[in-house]
Amino acid sequence: MISVQILEDTVLDSIVEKYRGKPGNLLSALEEAQEANPLKFLPPETLAAVSRKMNIPLTQVYSVATFYSFFNLKPQGRHTIIVCRGTACHTKGSRALLNDVGHILGFQYDPGEGEPSFTTPDNEYTIRTVACFGQCAQSPVVSVDGVIHSYVNAQQLLKILRTLSHQKL
Amino acid sequence: MRLKINSIATEVPDGLTVMEACRYAGVKIPSLCYLKDVSANASCGLCVVEVKGARNLLRSCVTRAAEGMEITTQSARIQSARKMNVELLLANHPDNCLTCDRNQHCELQTVAYEFGIRERRFPRTKPVSQVKDDTSFSLVRDPDKCILCGRCVAVCSEMQTVKAIDFAGRGLRSKISTFMEMGLGVVACTNCGQCALVCPTGAITEKDHVPAVWRAIHDPDKVVIVQTAPAVRVGIGEAMGMPYGSLVTGKMVAGLRRLGFSKVFDTDFAADLTIIEEGNELLHRLKNGGRLPMITSCSPGWIKFIEHFFPASLPHLSSCKSPQQMFGAIAKTYYAEKTNLDPRNMVVVSVMPCTAKKYEAQRPEMDGAFEYWKDKMKLDANDRFFDVDYVLTTRELGRMFQETGIDFIQLPEEEFDNPLGTSTGAAVIFGATGGVMEAALRTAYEVYTGQTLPDVNFKSIRGVQGIREAEIDLNGTPIRVAVAHTLANARKLLEEVEEGSSPYAFIEVMTCPGGCLGGGGQPIPTNQEIRRKRAESIYAEDAHKFIRKSHENPEIVYLYDHFLKEPLGDLSHHLLHTKYYERTFF
Repeated sequence: MISVQILEDTVLDSIVEKYRGKPGNLLSALEEAQEANPLKFLPPETLAAVSRKMNIPLTQVYSVATFYSFFNLKPQGRHTIIVCRGTACHTKGSRALLNDVGHILGFQYDPGEGEPSFTTPDNEYTIRTVACFGQCAQSPVVSVDGVIHSYVNAQQLLKILRTLSHQKL
Repeated sequence: MRLKINSIATEVPDGLTVMEACRYAGVKIPSLCYLKDVSANASCGLCVVEVKGARNLLRSCVTRAAEGMEITTQSARIQSARKMNVELLLANHPDNCLTCDRNQHCELQTVAYEFGIRERRFPRTKPVSQVKDDTSFSLVRDPDKCILCGRCVAVCSEMQTVKAIDFAGRGLRSKISTFMEMGLGVVACTNCGQCALVCPTGAITEKDHVPAVWRAIHDPDKVVIVQTAPAVRVGIGEAMGMPYGSLVTGKMVAGLRRLGFSKVFDTDFAADLTIIEEGNELLHRLKNGGRLPMITSCSPGWIKFIEHFFPASLPHLSSCKSPQQMFGAIAKTYYAEKTNLDPRNMVVVSVMPCTAKKYEAQRPEMDGAFEYWKDKMKLDANDRFFDVDYVLTTRELGRMFQETGIDFIQLPEEEFDNPLGTSTGAAVIFGATGGVMEAALRTAYEVYTGQTLPDVNFKSIRGVQGIREAEIDLNGTPIRVAVAHTLANARKLLEEVEEGSSPYAFIEVMTCPGGCLGGGGQPIPTNQEIRRKRAESIYAEDAHKFIRKSHENPEIVYLYDHFLKEPLGDLSHHLLHTKYYERTFF
């Protein structure tokens, strides 16, 4: 069980202060608040505090946080694996790659969910998809902890995931 | 400005949108998201028209009409575009029209029928059904029926500045949501129900009390009495197919008797009582340096609004309960005693133009009658009952009439029962914005000055302007008063109060536009023109009343002589006054 960590009020204060009066301040503040959280997500307490401190209605904060796929409302794994599901990557077999990630990390990927995000119970890995990375020429691409890997196939995928973990996959 | 609509030269006023110009010229344009004075977010795509020179179809709700424009509203291209947009909406809309609250009153159903859609052309694209939001005492949201038109978001944020709901998610997962999906019963929702009033489908409806009321009526051990709010008599006729604003007090009373209520009483009686208590409270505050401005407390949406958003201003609220709650408390004490009824066997049903009244009736502190009887009858916690048991909206009453097959239009005119059915013109006008203020002034003037009011009509505070003010001369003592309707306007006055710059002694606030007659429980549609007609009927009823000042109501005088003793007295304090609470956002 992961203990949910909530940002210190003073940390949030300084984040809000930093963007006060600047255009797009809500987006910037939410982004930084998410980064500052060890589990890289925005718990309800943080959203509510941002709303209060910035004097923006709760529903509007929630609206923004749910619109952008960048924002996470659930705790994220230590490693983030993003499989591109854009058209080019799809034709080069990205669905199979996504299933492979599932098999390697031991969960069943459920395509019914549309835009899935899955975090392993040990909170080690979060697997997400994205509509396009803009790297179609090198498709299929998979991003692992922010690094984009090109022309990925099943073997490479296994190798990449092995380097992330000490445990034998 | 001159333009052509369907090849016919027409002249329309300047500054209109293409849709307004067409409607001005009597040409029908369908729309599911645009609603006059409420929203224009161009999401439904039903109002598309062709304009000469434009390559694409234009959404007429957001396109400005221009001199010389040639507009076409009917062509194969327009027809197929409109039809497809409805078909796409239907792809994700459930098929359960037969059991929907809005069956036969649904705008989506109407356009689907009118456009000749007879089959489902597109498969469902939304992945999962969403759960109903059943958390509120007043409202139920069924997101599956939502077509994302945005009207509810617009009224909640612009008309009421509450922002309890907004769009959330993206693409197929877009939906209208409360913060973190917590539900309307958890977040800072005022239960005003304006969202339910503007919803084109059955996605937001009132919480249904009809089955519970039938059960009570059919229970031989219960004595079920009903009270009707002032604004219901100018709304219920519409729900029964009569013209907008029809004044149907007598028919409504007759209809309620035929439904099986033991006694048909009038919330207007309690409105007169409210005026005595509130008028005296105002005079007390004026004389003793109490907190001013004093603000009215009849509108439960407004009460919850100030509790959530302006808790520091709570001492400004009159401590008077609303007429609905005063009625319940008096019915289960005074009337129970008078008729020798066990209050535990009494069921008080309200018919209200309001969804927030459902919430108000279930506020934990609204059990004044139980507290009154607790020691006398040796009751314990299991016996606890509320002053008001069930609250029906005007729409729900309309459904009950329909269920029993009552031919409403043919009903005779009947009178309310006594004693809780006797009322004055001052009480009737509670249903319109400015009415409580006017009624209070009629009484406060005479009580304060000891003289007869030369003219009972305070026309300066009537009308539809968002905020109205007047200066009243109480025989040498001038007081400034203000009236606001909609919470956006109330917020403006409250900001002045919090700044300390409010020049008023007395403020009336009504949550809904036009006052209760535009309430969230009134028949659909409700719009500015319909509200105006309902207001005319309200003031007509006042003008025809023999007694027009609350303190001259003989049953009220009798109630004080034989039960309450004096305004603001000990019994009043326990039965007719209440407390308010600071509330968080969720």
